[in-house]
Amino acid sequence: MNTREITVTVNGRRHTRTVEVRRTLADFLREDLGLTGTHLGCEHGVCGACTVIIDGVTARSCLQLAVQADGAEITTVEGVTLPDGELHPVQEALRDSHAFQCGFCTPGFVMAIYGMCEEKKAGKPVPCSRAELREELSGNICRCSGYQQIIDGAEAALAAAKEA
Amino acid sequence: MAGGSAISGLVGARVHRKEDRKILTGTGRYVDDVQERGMLHAHFLRSTVPHARIVSIDVSKALEVEGVVRIFTGADMSAIADDLNFAQPIPGLHSPSYPAIARDVVRFVGEPVAMIVAESRYIAEDAAELIEVEYDELPPVMSTKAAMAEGAPQLFGDVVPGNIVHTDEQLFGDIEAAFAQADHIVTDTLDQHRWACNPMETRGGVATYDRGSGQLTYEASTQTTHTLRFLLAGWVRHPIHQFRVIANNIGGGFGLKFSAYREDVAVCAAAKAIGGTVKWVEDRNEHLIAAGAAREEQLTLEAAVKADGQLLGLRVTMDLDAGAYPINPPATVYTGLVRTTLPGPYRLPAYQFRHNIVATNKASYISLRGPWAVETLVRERLMDKIARTCGISPVEVRRRNLITLADQPTKMITNVTLENVTAAETFEKLVSMIDFDEVRREQEEARARGKLLGFGLGTFIEPAPGTKDFWAAVGFPFGAEPARIRIEIDGKVTVFTPQTPHGQSHETTLSQLVADELGVGFDDVRVVYGDTDATPFSMLGTGGSRAATMASGAVVYGSRELKKRVLDIASHLLEANVDDLQIVDGVISVKGAPGAQVPLAQIAMGCWLAPEQMPPGTNTELEYVASYDGEGGGFSQASHACWVEIDQETGDVEVKRFLVVEDCGKMINPAIVDGQVIGGVAMGIGGMLLEHSAYSEDGQYLSATFMDYLMPTAPEIPDIEIEHLEYESDKVIGSRGVGEGGTVLAPAALLNAIDDALAQAGGGRVTTTPVTPTRVLELLGVIEPD
Ligand code: FES
Ligand code: FES
Repeated sequence: MNTREITVTVNGRRHTRTVEVRRTLADFLREDLGLTGTHLGCEHGVCGACTVIIDGVTARSCLQLAVQADGAEITTVEGVTLPDGELHPVQEALRDSHAFQCGFCTPGFVMAIYGMCEEKKAGKPVPCSRAELREELSGNICRCSGYQQIIDGAEAALAAAKEA
Repeated sequence: MAGGSAISGLVGARVHRKEDRKILTGTGRYVDDVQERGMLHAHFLRSTVPHARIVSIDVSKALEVEGVVRIFTGADMSAIADDLNFAQPIPGLHSPSYPAIARDVVRFVGEPVAMIVAESRYIAEDAAELIEVEYDELPPVMSTKAAMAEGAPQLFGDVVPGNIVHTDEQLFGDIEAAFAQADHIVTDTLDQHRWACNPMETRGGVATYDRGSGQLTYEASTQTTHTLRFLLAGWVRHPIHQFRVIANNIGGGFGLKFSAYREDVAVCAAAKAIGGTVKWVEDRNEHLIAAGAAREEQLTLEAAVKADGQLLGLRVTMDLDAGAYPINPPATVYTGLVRTTLPGPYRLPAYQFRHNIVATNKASYISLRGPWAVETLVRERLMDKIARTCGISPVEVRRRNLITLADQPTKMITNVTLENVTAAETFEKLVSMIDFDEVRREQEEARARGKLLGFGLGTFIEPAPGTKDFWAAVGFPFGAEPARIRIEIDGKVTVFTPQTPHGQSHETTLSQLVADELGVGFDDVRVVYGDTDATPFSMLGTGGSRAATMASGAVVYGSRELKKRVLDIASHLLEANVDDLQIVDGVISVKGAPGAQVPLAQIAMGCWLAPEQMPPGTNTELEYVASYDGEGGGFSQASHACWVEIDQETGDVEVKRFLVVEDCGKMINPAIVDGQVIGGVAMGIGGMLLEHSAYSEDGQYLSATFMDYLMPTAPEIPDIEIEHLEYESDKVIGSRGVGEGGTVLAPAALLNAIDDALAQAGGGRVTTTPVTPTRVLELLGVIEPD
């Protein structure tokens, strides 16, 4: 078996592990670190359920190998939740809008919208209209919701995210 | 019992969902999140050919891979598990039984031919590549027409003669007379394509055999724990009292997860044979190929109508492409649903329905959100065609045929009682919200831009939950729904439901109902589901949009019984008349005398710990199983309107606007109702415009990734405008299901809109789906049909 040692910081915690070089980042997060909030809906880069933030950029953890993340800082849905277990404003906005149903796609949307809010806070341009938001989130598939209430929540979350 | 439920504020409000904290923080437990000590992983090697005899299968090289624990071929599996058998005593039904892993013959691309159990999924997949299967290929049968043709290859020999699983004809009223009186005979056809449930979580399960106790536990992604349990216990030859099925978070089902599948059997049997834990979670590729798909049906219609558009009679034939293997429920349930529902909310004096259910070399035909939906699709399209023939508007033709509230109670021609059905009322409301002059102006304006703006509408009824005579006509039981309710020792409440929610928010809605009924806090109610060791039996689990009526009724009646017991005790303690007592925030008090009170918790503690000290003659059992019969059941209804814009150069169809007027009776949580409606409509739009479980003519599967099977994403779906009617009947439980209707009716309004657009450019009418850009250009005459 071809293995390598990697060090990854996930949600603020450093982990050093030996992994098979072919192991995907998603499997590493889910199975090796037990962070099962990151979901796998397609494993071929289309559905967005596996979205995480790697060094400040939203990315699909099913399309990356764990070894590629060596030295990276990663945020998963578990890391978005506030330290006291309270919902992050993005999560609150999505709860308030009744955005989701079965919840399988949810971590991916939370991360994508969280990523947008962080960009806005950093002064970067973010989508303004509902149509733009729909385009921006077109890389995430939700089979249950029909998207409307997700867009409601995303709008509210973005409106609440203020430039630092 | 007197009408109206006791409402103290939660029911009817847009309460936050209980489910959301879990799912938003990533702390849910979906099947793939389960990790047990020593857990092994199963992977299925699947047939690459649509129809063949298995000549040989050699697993020796695969067995040498380090980390492979066991490989099961069809022969190995047959030694430890019975064949799946979904046969039921339905006259004329030919339901072949079949092994969990193919033994002699494979009948579709994707059929399991071996199961590899290994220490990791990676290893199992490596090993699968080393298994050598020799096939002796047989000609595949890839359409109902080919399957029924003279001399067609027979999939199951004499077991399914002529590849016809079931055929039937039913007559209602005097059909000959109806056609003899007709001024016009209007015909129509529809050839619907296969499309799929595609929940974002695929199928899967984790089976654990405990050698010490002999218990087999299957934690599965299922819509129906109890049915899965009794089916699997039989097939894996395990005593049912030693078999437990669990479902935690479920990432969507849409009907797919109602059946038990051969992979479930194989995984449970393997866990037992190996004596440990085996996990199987299919990947998207397997899911698209092998999990089955829905809706592949061809219908022809012939309507006898008067010159004024009045319907006199209807002849319908339906061929259903069942794929190779039957699942649960038997396909006669689908044709029964279509036959029974098709007349819809219209007066129809005579009706003839014929069907063929046909076996082909494809994955199974499965339930998909409103499995009967084609009845609404063809009926509402036919209404538009009748309107055109008679020179009246689509609104007028419906008005002349719709059954209004004033006409009820009445019976459908299919012997189903209609009562409190407001399809006509939703339709009038819809019409009142549309400015038809504006639509015409917009159409002219669009044509000036080189675009075609189409407008379409439709109306329907939804058996959610349906009536007793409805299900009798379909040939499926309409069971009562149980719920067990317990007031705990501290006055908090635990509810056990056989529902297996997978997005329907029952933890929230049932808590709202119980909290209101018992006068306790929303957070003081917990809903337990998905554990056959804990929840009362129901065959159905979550399906058929039953819960809003049936599960609600069970918890309301259960709460009322417990409330009666508690108030009886309190009336002794407070020396007050029961009728003067109330429970507010978990405290029982005398109305108007706030000083006289006793906490529910105090009574509960007394009942559990010292029942003998409670007032004599009172019932101190604070756990109760209620059963709700549905009070005769009933229907949901809705009317939809759809605006599309067609680009004549690209053939692109854009849904510009979508309007829904729905009536599911009393809404328990309007935000959840909205979510169901919007999600349903989106699925209907996706199914008609984008999604296709396509096969090549030689039987290969063509849509095995999300690059080929196109799911609707946010830009393809417009904001859906929704208006609720909330018609109040005199039933105690006035809520009706709303989970499937969006997907049932949206395709009809959408296709009517597309036809309207095409007609403006002299184009043809849609008779084959999906309506892809290529199809649109063909219908517009821009390109030649291929
Ligand atoms: S699982 Fe990564 S994009 Fe679908
Ligand atoms: S909530 Fe079920 S897939 Fe999005």
